[in-house]
Amino acid sequence: MQTHALLNVNRDLLSPFFERVPELFDKYHNDPESNPELYEELLYKIHRPMTIEMLDMIDDWMGLEHRRLNKDQDLMLRLFLLAIRYPDTLLLESLDDVIIEDVRRISAYLHFTSHTYTIWDQDTRKGLKLLGFDIPDTERADPFIYGAYVGTIELIKDLAPFTCFLEHDVPRQRLFQAAIAQFGREA
Amino acid sequence: MSKTEIVEGYTPNFEGWVQEFHEWQTRIGFDPAWLGDYRFEIRFDWISAGESIEFGDFEGMPKWSRRMQIPQQNIRDAIITMISVQGDTEFASVEQQNHLLATAPTEYDRKSALRIMCEEQRHGWQMAYLLCTYFGEQGVREAAKLLERNAQDGTRLLGSFNAPIDHWLDFFCFTHFIDRDGKYQLKMLSTSSFQPLAASMGPMLKEESFHLGTGANGLRRIVKAGVIPTSFLQKYVNKWVSTGLDLFGTDESTSAQWAYVYGVKGRYDERESNNDADRDHLNEASRGLYFDEIKAEMARISKGRPEGDPELYIPSDKFNRGIGKYSGKLYTVTGEDFEGTEEEYAEYLASVLPSDEDERKLVEEYMAPGVEWIQYREWKG
Repeated sequence: MQTHALLNVNRDLLSPFFERVPELFDKYHNDPESNPELYEELLYKIHRPMTIEMLDMIDDWMGLEHRRLNKDQDLMLRLFLLAIRYPDTLLLESLDDVIIEDVRRISAYLHFTSHTYTIWDQDTRKGLKLLGFDIPDTERADPFIYGAYVGTIELIKDLAPFTCFLEHDVPRQRLFQAAIAQFGREA
Repeated sequence: MSKTEIVEGYTPNFEGWVQEFHEWQTRIGFDPAWLGDYRFEIRFDWISAGESIEFGDFEGMPKWSRRMQIPQQNIRDAIITMISVQGDTEFASVEQQNHLLATAPTEYDRKSALRIMCEEQRHGWQMAYLLCTYFGEQGVREAAKLLERNAQDGTRLLGSFNAPIDHWLDFFCFTHFIDRDGKYQLKMLSTSSFQPLAASMGPMLKEESFHLGTGANGLRRIVKAGVIPTSFLQKYVNKWVSTGLDLFGTDESTSAQWAYVYGVKGRYDERESNNDADRDHLNEASRGLYFDEIKAEMARISKGRPEGDPELYIPSDKFNRGIGKYSGKLYTVTGEDFEGTEEEYAEYLASVLPSDEDERKLVEEYMAPGVEWIQYREWKG
C-alpha cells in the first residue's frame, strides 16, 4: 500500500504546500471561528472512560446539535471509541446506521479520543484534491473512504520536511489537517 | 519534499559500538524492556540536505559525502567535534532523566518522557554511526567516548548536561529551554557542507519538536493546575534560561566563524535569511532568535495562570550568565546593574533562584502524592 501511495505522489503539487504548512496551519487553527482555545482544552478534557458529557463538548466545539441516541446506541458508540486502534477503520462497520451516517461527528470523536485519527472536513477534502488526492465525498463514515482520508493525511505528514514541524503544540494530524483545510479554503 | 532513508546494514565498526551501547544502557539503569517495540534506526533525509555547499568559502561546490572529499584535516576535525558534542548531549540527557520514569505524575507523562529518551538515544546512535562509518579510527575513538563520559560524574562536554534533573519541574524546564536550544543546534547543522550530517538533521528535528512541545505543554499544564504559585515557578525559569543562553557559546566566537567559513554549521535561519551573515557575531545572532522565541512562548504559558498570580517572564539575557560579555558581572533578573557587594548579590541570587528549602517544598508539599499539581492528560497514541 505504501509503495502504491508513494508512486502516486505528485511532488510538484506537494512542494509549494510544504513550504507554507506553518503559515496555513496558523491561519486555519487560530481563526477565532475555529475556537482554538476550546480545541486545546478538549485535548485534555476528553479521556477514558469517555462520558456522554465529553462527547457533548466535542459536539459543541464542532457546532453540531447533540446526538439523539438511545441508551444502547450511546453505549455502543463509547465502546467503539474505547476499542478502536489506529490505523483500523473497519471497526466503523460495527456501528449502528444512525451513528455511522455522520462522518463529521464520528471523525471528531475519533480525533479527540485517539489523536492519530483526523477530523473529516470539506475544506480538507478540497485541499487534498489540490494536492493530487481525490477522496470521494460522503456523509457516511465509510471505513474505506474515511480510511483513505486519514491514510492520505498520514502519508503527507510522513513526506513533509522537518520545517513543517517546528512550531506547533497540537497533535501532528491536526497540524496537517488544518493546513490542508486552509489550502483548500483559499482555492 | 522528503522521504527518509533507513539504513539496513551496519559496518563492523558501528556493530562493535552497538555492543558497547547495550552495556552503557545497563550501566545507567535504562531497562531495554522499556523500549517496547521501538527500534533504533539510522535515518537520512538526503533531499532536505541539499547537494551544493550553501555558505562559506566553499559555497557552490558539491557537498562532501565522504571523509576524503573534505579538503583539509582541520575541517574534518571541526566536523568530528560538532558530531561528538551533539552525540554527547543526546546520551547525557538520558543519564540525567531516566530515574524520573518511576515518579511520573500521569501515564501520559511517563510515556512522553520514555519516547523522548528513546529518541534521544536514537539521535546518539545516529551521531555514533556518522563517527564510526565516516571517520575511521579517529571516529571510532570519539564514538566510544560518547558512552564513557557520564552526566552523573559531571564529565559531559556541556555544563547543562551535567546538571541534575531531580524532579519533573526540572524535566519540563529542561525539555522546554534546553531541547529548544537543541532544535537551534540541529537546524544550524541541517545546512552543513558534510552531507551525511546535514541529512541526519531532518529526521532528528521532526522528533525534537515533540520533545520541546512536551516541555512547553508540561509547564502550561502546571500553570493551569494552579497548585504551584507562578512566583515560585519563576525561580526555576530564572535558573534554566541563563543555562540555555550559555549553550549558544561565547560572544565573537572564532570557532563559530571557522565553522561558517568551512560551511559546516550555518545560521539558524540560513536558508530563510536574505542578509549576509555577520561572521563576527554568529552565536549572538542565534542566541537573539532563541531569546525572542522563549519570551513569546513564556507569554503563552503564563496565559493560563490563576487570577492574581504574577505573570511569568523570561529574565534578562544579562542575568547569571556563565560565559560571554555578561559573565562574572552582577545583574538583576531585569538586567539592571546590581547595587551592592558580592555577599549581597549572593543573597539576592538565593532569593530569585531555587534554594534548598524551595526544592524541599516543591517535592514534599507541592508535588506530594495525591496533590494534582499538573493538569491531567491522557496518552492517546
